[in-house]
Amino acid sequence: MLEPALLEKVLGQALRGGADFAEVYAERAKRRRMTVRSGRLEEALSGLDYGAGIRLFFGTEVVYAYTNDLTEEGLLEALETLLRAKGALGQVDGQGRGGLDFRKQVPKGLHAPQIPYGKKDRRYRLERLLEAEAGARIAPEIRQVEASLLEWEAEVLIANTEGVLAEERRVRTRLFVLAVAQEGAEVQTGYAGPGKSVGLELFDLYPPKAVGEKAARQALTNLRAKPAPAGTFPVVVGPGFGGVLFHEAVGHLLETTSVAKKASVLSDKLGERIASPAVTYIDDGTLPHAFGSTEMDDEGRPTERTVLIEGGILKSYMVDRLGHLLTGYPMTGSGRRQDYTFAPTSRMRNTFLAPGDKRPEELFEGIEFGLYAKEMGGGQVKPGSGEYNFAVQEGYIIRKGRIEEPVRGAMLVGKGPETLMRVVAVAHDWENAPGMCGSLSGAVPVEVGQPHVLVSEIVVGGRA
Amino acid sequence: MTLEEAKGYVLRRAKELGLEAELLFVENRELSLRAQGGRLEELKEARQGGVGLRVVAGGRVGYAYTEELSQEALDWALEEARENALLSAKEGAIPPGKPLGSHDLLGEGLSAPLEAKRQAALSLEKALQEDPRVRAVLMGGYLEREARVVLESTQGAQGGYRTGLAGLMGSFVMAEGESRKQGWEVKLGKEFHTLEPGRTALEFREKTGRLLGAKPLKTGRYRAYLEPEAMASLLMVFAQALSGKAALEGKSRLWGRLGERIGSELVTLIDDPTLEKGLLSRPFDAEGTPARPTVVVEGGIFRTFLHNSETARALGQENTGHASRSYKGTLGVAPSNLYLAPVGDLRLTEGVVVTEFMGLHAGANPVSLDFSLQALGLWVEEGEVRHAVENFAVSGNLLELFQAVEAVGNDLDWVLLDAAYGSPTVAVAELSFAGA
Repeated sequence: MLEPALLEKVLGQALRGGADFAEVYAERAKRRRMTVRSGRLEEALSGLDYGAGIRLFFGTEVVYAYTNDLTEEGLLEALETLLRAKGALGQVDGQGRGGLDFRKQVPKGLHAPQIPYGKKDRRYRLERLLEAEAGARIAPEIRQVEASLLEWEAEVLIANTEGVLAEERRVRTRLFVLAVAQEGAEVQTGYAGPGKSVGLELFDLYPPKAVGEKAARQALTNLRAKPAPAGTFPVVVGPGFGGVLFHEAVGHLLETTSVAKKASVLSDKLGERIASPAVTYIDDGTLPHAFGSTEMDDEGRPTERTVLIEGGILKSYMVDRLGHLLTGYPMTGSGRRQDYTFAPTSRMRNTFLAPGDKRPEELFEGIEFGLYAKEMGGGQVKPGSGEYNFAVQEGYIIRKGRIEEPVRGAMLVGKGPETLMRVVAVAHDWENAPGMCGSLSGAVPVEVGQPHVLVSEIVVGGRA
Repeated sequence: MTLEEAKGYVLRRAKELGLEAELLFVENRELSLRAQGGRLEELKEARQGGVGLRVVAGGRVGYAYTEELSQEALDWALEEARENALLSAKEGAIPPGKPLGSHDLLGEGLSAPLEAKRQAALSLEKALQEDPRVRAVLMGGYLEREARVVLESTQGAQGGYRTGLAGLMGSFVMAEGESRKQGWEVKLGKEFHTLEPGRTALEFREKTGRLLGAKPLKTGRYRAYLEPEAMASLLMVFAQALSGKAALEGKSRLWGRLGERIGSELVTLIDDPTLEKGLLSRPFDAEGTPARPTVVVEGGIFRTFLHNSETARALGQENTGHASRSYKGTLGVAPSNLYLAPVGDLRLTEGVVVTEFMGLHAGANPVSLDFSLQALGLWVEEGEVRHAVENFAVSGNLLELFQAVEAVGNDLDWVLLDAAYGSPTVAVAELSFAGA
């Protein structure tokens, strides 16, 4: 996308402007979104995102600029804007340095698609979406179905004054089906949204008809569900997207973005017990074709597998460059950003609770009254207080160890550190599921995962 | 190419190809300054822009956009939009347009030297620290956003406007004993000189500090006093049911209820894109329909959906001028400055003051309008705040909530989410609270 000579010029100029470190991040991304409703294509959008961000460090002070103009003039102008702004705010020492010795990293294609963006025509995509939509029409109560395909193919280039020059092609595909069920005045929804770092082979991995059916079944289940009870109960959280509980309750609390400023309740706790011994929690950016996987992070470092919590003991935080400078913790390849309009911060990739040794059935045994949170929606957390919430998309009452009637509208709330201590059992049936995670550096694709997990008590928000 | 050149090129090519086309050009500028520990920690200054296309080919609609303004990229976008249209089954048209003029909704609003803005960020951060209960400051900062929007179509629309915002932001942790609370606050205005870092920092601290020492709330049904920020965030969810697009797509529970009572007579909802100080005011919508105020719910009676030309035509209703589109998106419907009209005379007696809802994107369903949300709040007894409450969730349905409104205050305040939403404090007869 950008020639080494130009990168060297921009980065060199940044050093002469007094920066200790400079980085250029450039991307050219093609996107496509197609939406089917009522048996026909209703919306189709194609797009080309094209821009670059320049980040300079002066000690731990960061200045950042971005532009859509990737010519030499465009990049130098963005840099000049930054240096001028910096100059207006503080001193620039004007020290220059020698030429850069780029160590060009060749991508291995670990997550390369089998069916890339350009292959297959629109009609093929449309047919798969129509299959998904038809798959959801399983009962007369299903009044509306919406099936969308989201495709994304980005070329990303990162170069910095430490000699990094790395490029990666990132391909992601997601199918999303929303089903609306209605009976009388009662309206409920269900959805399914498989996504991977793959091309259109996603349709082979997740047959569209089955995806549609899953969304519709959930909508029908919610239609006959009663409002969830309100109170504090034992909760069994289902596998896969259930992992969003720990993503919110602990994951965000381990990002150096909060940790470095003591604005996380889990700051300064390395080596301490922060969870029950049943909890081993891992953030792995290397899982093949996972939604949150990349070969390198958005600072150009190879992604890695980071064990965050082992047997309840805190082993590592998630550390980006700035987090490393502020805390001294080694970088973990966790610098991520939505796109060139954001400077990277430390973020999760594919984060999951490791499997335990229990059979899933064992977790339900002995629960007199509780909630089975089978499928989860999203959630949110305040790292500084640890207060988190997440929504149950499909839930059932557990009575005397048995899964009984469905309930809807349950919101689980709590404080992360307390919930971590209340994990009493972890099953062996681990799964991961994709999602989007929003934070300081925008919305990034992630996976969350876990096996069935029993938490001894959580506040369940429902009808009192 | 420059944006001007790109615009000329795409319109010319579209005409040559026999396409109806509507082009949306947007140029955004952003400045943010973040202070921490008494010094500037991050400065961001940048520009971004692109061309969004809506084309009609064979009576069908297709979309594309590009941020790269080379001839090759523009040709690609035009061809993609055309192909998208040809495969689509949805009929559409670019509405007939007219000259819309050039409007400046910002004026001198952001014109202060960088140094003054840096001082504002530093003052805010410093003032946040001036409370022994503040244990950590993630950042105190200043931000500004400016956008230049130009709309032009082969059907004669042509016009543009400039708008922008300035604001102060702070993120910090307060603690007292074992109790910790995090504040994440933004205060926005249309002009730099109206910002008051010292006073705003005090407000930020008070908002979070009053939540310290919280006790668990017993599960039960209580009267709720929804503060402006909490109620305005619910309006964001409700706005989706007001959308003519949601109605057309079978995703609005308000379908078939025009002219009916959907709330207590104290509920009047207005969207006004012409408000002088409105955070998201606009002279015309994304299709060039001139902006005017719309009374959506009047004294509890549902008067109209919000429409663009496409949803209005499809449903046989009047276009209210609520077309929305970013250059990266497809035609939608969105409010600009949607607010619950103030009434006055709201007094606290007994119940829970809800100061903030969390988890709206997951815990509130815009189709069913059911919600179950984590909330932060205060317990009120005998007309006085007794203590903060925490670790609880509030649930119900928005239509039931509007029916149960028993008082609306006069303290109208705004939050900026996907649009600007405003509300005074609202008293709701009874809501379901889950806690200890």
